[in-house]
Amino acid sequence: MNRVDGRQKVTGAAKYSAEYQLPNMAYAVLVGSTIAKGRLSSIDTKAAERAPGVLAVITHQNGPKLPGHKPVGKDPSQPQTVGSALRVFTDDKIRFNDQPIAVVVADSWERARYAARLVKAQYAQEAHQTNLEANKPNAFLPTQAKKNPKSPVADYQRGQVDAYKTGALKLEAEYVIPTEVHHPIEMQSITAHWEAPDRLTLYDKTQGTMATRRDFAREWGLPEENVKVIATYVGGAFGNGLHSWPHESAAIVAAKVVNRPVKLMLTREQMFTMVGYRPHTWQKIGMSATPDGKITAITHEAIGQTSTYEEFTEATLGQTRMMYQAPNMTTRYRLAALDIGSPIWMRGPGEATGAFALESAMDEMAYLLNIDPLEFRLRNYTDKDPENGKPWSSKFLKECYQAGAERIGWNKRQLKPGSVREGDWLIGYGMGVGTFGAHRGTSKATAKLLPDGTVLLQSAVTDIGPGTGTAMTQIAADTLGVTPAKVRFEWGNSDFARAPTQGGSAIVNTVGPAVQEACLALKDKLRELAAAGNGAFAAARKEDVTFADGYLTLAGNATARVTYTDLVKQAGGQAVTVESKPSDKGREYSMYSFSVHFAQVRVHQLTGEVRVSKLVSCADAGTIINEKTAGNQMKGGAVGGIGMALTEAAVIDDRFGRYVTKDLAEYHVPVHADAPAVEVYFVNQPDPHVNALGTKGIGEIATIGVAPAIANAIFNATGKRIRELPITPDKLI
Amino acid sequence: MNQFQYVRASKPKAAIEALARDPNAQFIAGGTNLLDLMKRGVMAPQKLIDINKLPLDKIERQEGNIRIGALALNGAVAEDKLVLEKLPLLAQALNAGASAQLRNMATVGGNMLQRTRCPYFYDTAMPCNKREPGTGCGALEGYNRMHAIFGFSDKCIAVHPSDMSVALAALDATVLVSGPKGDRRIPFAELHRLPGDQPHIDTTLGAGELITAVEVPDNAFTRHVHYLKVRERASYAFALVSVAAALQLDGSTIKDARLAMGGVAHKPWRLADAEKTLVGKPATDETFRQAAEVAMRGAKAFQHNAYKLKLGPNSIVQALKNAAAA
Amino acid sequence: MADEQPGLSLDHDEHSQARRTFLKQSSLLTALAFTPGPVVRAAAAELDEKVAAAFEKVPLKLAVNGKRYKLQVEPRTTLLDLLREQLHLTGTKKGCDYGQCGACTVHVDGKRINSCLTLAVMQEGKEVTTIEGLAPGGDKLHPMQEAFIKHDGFQCGYCTPGQIMSAVACIREGHADSEGEIREYMSGNICRCGAYTNIVAAIQEVKNGGQRV
Repeated sequence: MNRVDGRQKVTGAAKYSAEYQLPNMAYAVLVGSTIAKGRLSSIDTKAAERAPGVLAVITHQNGPKLPGHKPVGKDPSQPQTVGSALRVFTDDKIRFNDQPIAVVVADSWERARYAARLVKAQYAQEAHQTNLEANKPNAFLPTQAKKNPKSPVADYQRGQVDAYKTGALKLEAEYVIPTEVHHPIEMQSITAHWEAPDRLTLYDKTQGTMATRRDFAREWGLPEENVKVIATYVGGAFGNGLHSWPHESAAIVAAKVVNRPVKLMLTREQMFTMVGYRPHTWQKIGMSATPDGKITAITHEAIGQTSTYEEFTEATLGQTRMMYQAPNMTTRYRLAALDIGSPIWMRGPGEATGAFALESAMDEMAYLLNIDPLEFRLRNYTDKDPENGKPWSSKFLKECYQAGAERIGWNKRQLKPGSVREGDWLIGYGMGVGTFGAHRGTSKATAKLLPDGTVLLQSAVTDIGPGTGTAMTQIAADTLGVTPAKVRFEWGNSDFARAPTQGGSAIVNTVGPAVQEACLALKDKLRELAAAGNGAFAAARKEDVTFADGYLTLAGNATARVTYTDLVKQAGGQAVTVESKPSDKGREYSMYSFSVHFAQVRVHQLTGEVRVSKLVSCADAGTIINEKTAGNQMKGGAVGGIGMALTEAAVIDDRFGRYVTKDLAEYHVPVHADAPAVEVYFVNQPDPHVNALGTKGIGEIATIGVAPAIANAIFNATGKRIRELPITPDKLI
Repeated sequence: MNQFQYVRASKPKAAIEALARDPNAQFIAGGTNLLDLMKRGVMAPQKLIDINKLPLDKIERQEGNIRIGALALNGAVAEDKLVLEKLPLLAQALNAGASAQLRNMATVGGNMLQRTRCPYFYDTAMPCNKREPGTGCGALEGYNRMHAIFGFSDKCIAVHPSDMSVALAALDATVLVSGPKGDRRIPFAELHRLPGDQPHIDTTLGAGELITAVEVPDNAFTRHVHYLKVRERASYAFALVSVAAALQLDGSTIKDARLAMGGVAHKPWRLADAEKTLVGKPATDETFRQAAEVAMRGAKAFQHNAYKLKLGPNSIVQALKNAAAA
Repeated sequence: MADEQPGLSLDHDEHSQARRTFLKQSSLLTALAFTPGPVVRAAAAELDEKVAAAFEKVPLKLAVNGKRYKLQVEPRTTLLDLLREQLHLTGTKKGCDYGQCGACTVHVDGKRINSCLTLAVMQEGKEVTTIEGLAPGGDKLHPMQEAFIKHDGFQCGYCTPGQIMSAVACIREGHADSEGEIREYMSGNICRCGAYTNIVAAIQEVKNGGQRV
């Protein structure tokens, strides 16, 4: 089945957050600080205010009071992070470079942008810290781990602490990933419209319409139902729409002040500084094994970067604790707070970071043991979760190994690095494993039969590109026994049925069952209606009623046949809203999606250029609802992994605390020429425990494990082990 | 972007006079670099003189050379039959630059005059002697991964980003300019400056001068040529190092050679000494390595670009190998 | 005035007319009009908004998707911003504004360019085609649009109009003869969702299908 919104997207009709036309629109441009830490001692807005077309220049000196705003660091109600999201113009403190210090509002984008350059600020500068390496000694245990020793970011051990140190066969290695930035092609944008003094509508690039509504309703002291968030089309996000950011806050303030709808789109430079990033992370792995390839102990430590005003944590060490059968396990996770904006989960988040270290170390150990890396993983395969002893809800990783090895031609791989060459190019093969929790949350969905016989489904969930709308349409059509053309799924509006934020590979797992259950409830309604109007249906058993092609029919009774449309006409439009929750029984299982990625690379022996010539990504993600969109997601995750492995790094000049990679010419995301044809394989076996659909989630495992597969392939090609990403040509010559 | 006056020139003379009259005016042709810089506040001309209507886009065969109009588009030049036949090195260099879309906008004259991509030049909140003389060089002790290993000064270590210019430098091109004082010809090697004490001046063009064409003399480098560009992704990125290599072979003996590098200096870096070591020698890896060694004499690296001391010679060897095999 | 020199022009009657009307409005302005640019602008900032606008805007005639427009634009307005903000043709996307992503790709006189790095006024007299004008009309899609849907050559859809405009040009230019050539000549269009494999498949299908693009 093709994507339900394909036509909108290929014709340019799909409207993103900065593309709504509202009467009397004004344009806002942010002015950023030019220091990383200190205070604003003065800010001169006169020239900007006088510039043609300028409607307002808002700073901390004249910004409106935000009734629900809690000062930074003083909001313990924040669930995921400690501290609180930065809001604008509330004080004179500078916490990172390019922090918004003013917003200029004008009647055109050109005028706003020009006037923004006329705002002049003076600072009382303080010494800043932007270097992770230098701040490693100050790294601390996250507050949530201090409060709760069972927190996933708390120190963990099974067996003996740091047992690898006493192992006869051991390795110890440090791994570094730089800051990576989401950089969706649509830059963060928002159109804020106060429809009444206490009613706010936001067209916003967010992954969660409900979360954004909650955050800004709270900030303005409004009831949630007075705030409406629309995010029908989101031009990619990869995690940077999982939080509410200063620019959103600024656009809402600006719209309030000028009393007009205000449109604000960040610049590419601002995409580095104020909407999150995958944090620069240092890791160390110690591993020991027996000569026949059984891991005896692993210690995995990580220090991730966060800001001074929020404690951002991620599950960097999760995969290490559960992937391989290691009787002795120690993990330690720490944070270093720097004068940089807060990070936010980026596709495959901490797991992708952790998998780079773990899966590189697995390759290093296999090499040390002189065992094929695939064989080494099989020898340490787990049939139940070693972290908690629970059975897996499902695990078909071995099937993935086999399928991937065949497709990449793993048998052509030589154990000895540097053995295969073609002219000036060295050829190598590598693999990397990924896993991510098969999370399922609670969600609602509404299903309604329209008089024309179509079914309208609504959910507040967003579709940032994976094809949520398409998958939900398919689930509904399958459940109801109608063609997808008879189903219309509407999403991306906080007024629709409550749904979680798009993220963590959890949407099909969570919203899918809600859609399914809503459709089942609708079927019950239809049965009731049919029974009321037709004796044969009234007498029939539930399982004998068949729904197909827009008709209700009865097994063994050719005359009992009613169209949906007739039923709906009778009833005058029936709607049901259901809430779907994970079952308690699920807690008895460990639920994960699994993937393995196989890479073939070519490395130029003189120039150090790397080309990924082949990539095979195999996934055990439970039932695949739509092979086309799911396959696309896998391919896209692989391309993201190529970027992580080879090209992407955001760099700060610590003297100024300012990024020197400021745009897409300096921060290299993969282009067409970097991407081979990616081959995808799905086991496509339903998971019996996550939900009734059998799904487990794809988005994260598509990326997790790709970067180490490429790094390992480079080692196999060249004998060079690169432990700091990205692997640019200079590291290989 | 600041406000500016906008005028269109239909005759070169009018364009030149308008520019000469107004020190705050700039020509605009493709605009791909100028508008980028204006959006970021790095440049703020008060008048733009649109020269796209000037009749300067012809590519023609002349006595002893090929003449390419300054307003010929990069994409058009790269696909031009005459260029592909007679100047394949130039076509390769052009195709290695930017994207198909940008090559459809950028002109030959504008390509030569593009400014450095140094991140300190691009950020008005950081020091840069090229953007604001006297503020210091941010790159000297900063993030200098992309920076020069030849010909720099303590005021500026930026590199010139053009690929096309590296090929033109190798091919002994001549730049034709018209100015208030008449026409003159500038050997390509003398168009771009080294930074010295005045890094804010990129070229030797005088006030009000307009590049009208570039002439590339007839040469025999029509087969054994290669433009090698090493970058951080497979396409659409600026060079870490690039090499324009051209050989004239008599059997396996090198009769004549041209060699220039990009991404290593404030101007396209012609390697005349290395060329000399190639002539008369067999086209072997050993010969190429010797030339690369000569080419790198005098190179000096900074904190983050030491890799260029190795990537440079390696790339020269590879480019020469590819040229010989072409 | 510089733009009244021989060989230099903003050769539009409307503009001259606008200028004359405007000059009549105020003797103060008559004086200002002959003082150098920066002074005018500094002063204009203190003047009535309409007057400032008259100073700043210049006339522009161009065709977009076959429709002819006579517009008044600020010279600093890029073609991209003109399309999106004034003509409300938001199918052309802003992904970086610096010519580094390709989301803003349109055809001008049949050639693909980045609309973010050219001024609208530089397109005087030209024919612009955007994604909204690619299809032949009615319900029918362009073959490349059909192929993108069939091969799922996108995810979030934001880079898609640029990819499609570039893909059509890629075939027209004769640069779609192999997978490798397509990848190189499509490298000016970044897809952060990473749908490259499917985009290349879509282009190959259109190319091999031999349909007129």
